[in-house]
Amino acid sequence: MSSAEKTSVLRKYKIVFLGDQSAVGKTSLITRFMYDTFDDQYAATIGIDFLSKTMYLEDNKTIRLQLWDTAGQERFRSLIPSYIRDSHVAVVCYDITNRKSFQNLHKWIQDVKSERGEDVIIVIVGNKLDLNARRQVTSEEGEEYAKSVGASFSIETSTKANHNVKLLFKKIASSLPEFESTAQNNSSQSETVEINVEPSAPESSSCC
Amino acid sequence: MIDMSNVTGIAEGKSLTAMGNKDHVDHLKDEGDIPLRHHERTGSNQTNNYSVLDFYEMDSPNPGAERQFGNTPKRFDNDPVSEGETSGDVTDDEQEHEVPISPANISNNIPSQHSPKDRDDTDVPLQFDEELGFSSITGSEFDIYGFKKSSSYHGISREEYDKWFLEYHKYTQKNRKKWHLLMKNNGLSILDNNTPKRFPPRSNKVKKMIRKGLPPEWRGSAWFFYAGGYEKLNKHVGVYEQIVRDTKNIQNKDTEVIERDLNRTFPDNKYFNDLLRLKPQTTEYGKNEGETQIIKALRRVLVAFAHYQPHIGYCQSLNFLAGLLLLFMEEEKAFWLLVILTERIIPNVHSADLEGVHTDQGVLMLCIKEYIPSLWSVIGRNYDGEALGEDAVISKLPPASLVTSSWFMSIFVTVLPVETALRVWDILWYEGSKTIFRISLTICKLCFEHPEFQDIRSRSIGSSETEQIELYQFMQNYPKTLQDCNLLISSCYKKIGGYGFGSLSQDEINQCRHYISKQRSKLQNKQLLSANLSREERNSLISSSLPASNQEDYSDVYEFHKPIMSGVRWNRNLSTKMKRKFSKKN
Repeated sequence: MSSAEKTSVLRKYKIVFLGDQSAVGKTSLITRFMYDTFDDQYAATIGIDFLSKTMYLEDNKTIRLQLWDTAGQERFRSLIPSYIRDSHVAVVCYDITNRKSFQNLHKWIQDVKSERGEDVIIVIVGNKLDLNARRQVTSEEGEEYAKSVGASFSIETSTKANHNVKLLFKKIASSLPEFESTAQNNSSQSETVEINVEPSAPESSSCC
Repeated sequence: MIDMSNVTGIAEGKSLTAMGNKDHVDHLKDEGDIPLRHHERTGSNQTNNYSVLDFYEMDSPNPGAERQFGNTPKRFDNDPVSEGETSGDVTDDEQEHEVPISPANISNNIPSQHSPKDRDDTDVPLQFDEELGFSSITGSEFDIYGFKKSSSYHGISREEYDKWFLEYHKYTQKNRKKWHLLMKNNGLSILDNNTPKRFPPRSNKVKKMIRKGLPPEWRGSAWFFYAGGYEKLNKHVGVYEQIVRDTKNIQNKDTEVIERDLNRTFPDNKYFNDLLRLKPQTTEYGKNEGETQIIKALRRVLVAFAHYQPHIGYCQSLNFLAGLLLLFMEEEKAFWLLVILTERIIPNVHSADLEGVHTDQGVLMLCIKEYIPSLWSVIGRNYDGEALGEDAVISKLPPASLVTSSWFMSIFVTVLPVETALRVWDILWYEGSKTIFRISLTICKLCFEHPEFQDIRSRSIGSSETEQIELYQFMQNYPKTLQDCNLLISSCYKKIGGYGFGSLSQDEINQCRHYISKQRSKLQNKQLLSANLSREERNSLISSSLPASNQEDYSDVYEFHKPIMSGVRWNRNLSTKMKRKFSKKN
């Protein structure tokens, strides 16, 4: 697994960013990583944004990260499974100054697991570390939660102060290689998919 | 709204027009009569009923007639109330309404107009009419609508913008003259460069002119006029005001999300984001904590809308739609146009289940398949790069629709450059939803023909999803580069060179919507019907309802009935067994 591969083909990894409602900082994280900039206000993401960036790692390896930035509003979750499908990494974000966004992490993680089973790297990110004084979620809580759901790691970041963002992506990259064999083997995936047969029946319809 | 021409519709004469009624009604019917389960409107059980107030409502004996009130613009915060009359004289209006007025008469009845006093933007640069305005724009970092010219998002620098604007400004000037002439020929003279409240009746000539673009300062007024805003407004006199009163202090799930989105609506526009024009010498702006008048109006409109259309509530992207409207008209009108849009033009696209997104994306994909088959051969694939079967789009939209969904939800706002989006909006309010499909197809075609797309394509065809994503990424970014509005519009409507989607009719779209909607609801009903069965039984029922060719990979991109699919894939043997069992039962 760790053997240096010939990189004639640029290996691509799909990373989907999820997280509550609005403004936990998904777009901001991605923008900081992509362009190393920060704005106080980002336009709300509608649906999905695709971005990709080639990353140069140690040992002369290059990989391409395909980042899927998603809309945070509840109703867009009906579109989410297709975002998650085949993703290698799910970065689930919350805002450390907003307890509710932390409490809602489980919804997103549930979505990820029902779509990808254990076949995905889950990363928990607590953003807005620069607003430490207004913190509503302790670092310990974040870490504990991450462990409890089997996340690869959790990290607190500040996109505004540019803190830990690079580290986040480095850590994501370094956790990737273990993944390669399973990522290619899509056909086996369906066997590990959790069977979820709850009917998502539309309330509006009446049956007769 | 922005006081773009120094004249905003504050006080209108109590006048009316009966022009263009027939055309107009036909047009509305076009969009309104879609007999679909999912597009169906039954008014009272879907919108909050404000019938108490509707005693004001005056159903006219001639329902197509346009009526205008003098009391439409209002502010509902503590701002100084505009100079306009505070309340319309309903009876007078109705009496007048009985007597159709010919365009010639109307021209003598030009509404008086005043500048609103309630805007805080003393530095409005919007003097469209003369060269004066031009120089103030070229010297500014903002465009005429208050958006920053340079945008990393759209990949354009201020210099590039100015270069484009220089040319486009000439075009706009020329076009403005044509519009003035058109108005004059229709007996609608314009005094002192005021914004007209009435426009010529529908005709091929007008349609052509609309496609060439409205003068920027007339946009709000013309959109409202041609979209049937006055009919709506006149049926609901005082309703908006009442809703705003009712919702003044409410807090719920919708308001929570709205609050989060207010400052995320056009942060690159100085009317929305005070920080952009916060200069050291004008610290007074700091007082209102960065909240501009237009943000306050946006809050009221969105909260009122969520209350009025509870089945929609608040959906992200409505903030951009309402926000753009507010740049061009007062909030009450913006509110009603938003209602017209979501009821009549793109129904259910913003509803809680986003069903309209699924439907319209299905329609768009079928259109691509039909009209740009070469593109379909590239994007009409599932995640594994396999071509999608005939009926697949009903339940299994190709991933490219993830890109195009937002084109519909925000009707190209933030998707296309501002002026280009506005040109599409000009046509949208006049011609209806087919515009969105036609423009989408044009963008797709232009995008497909782009060398870079072809390049990516040659590397990615038939390969895995990660390769395809590069294509989608290009598709997503491509519209942002369409600064040349005339290129997009003329490509859309020209008939030569194999281009042009002007022949795609509203009927065709409606039929297609109907078809997809019906198929989807069939499947949904089946799913519901089977809710009481065991998992296996349900699996078999669903799989038996699918065309045989589609059974194997029937996993819906949009999670339509994904859970069932997991079961099927998990054990196809079982499902086949159950299918047999079920057909015996039947």
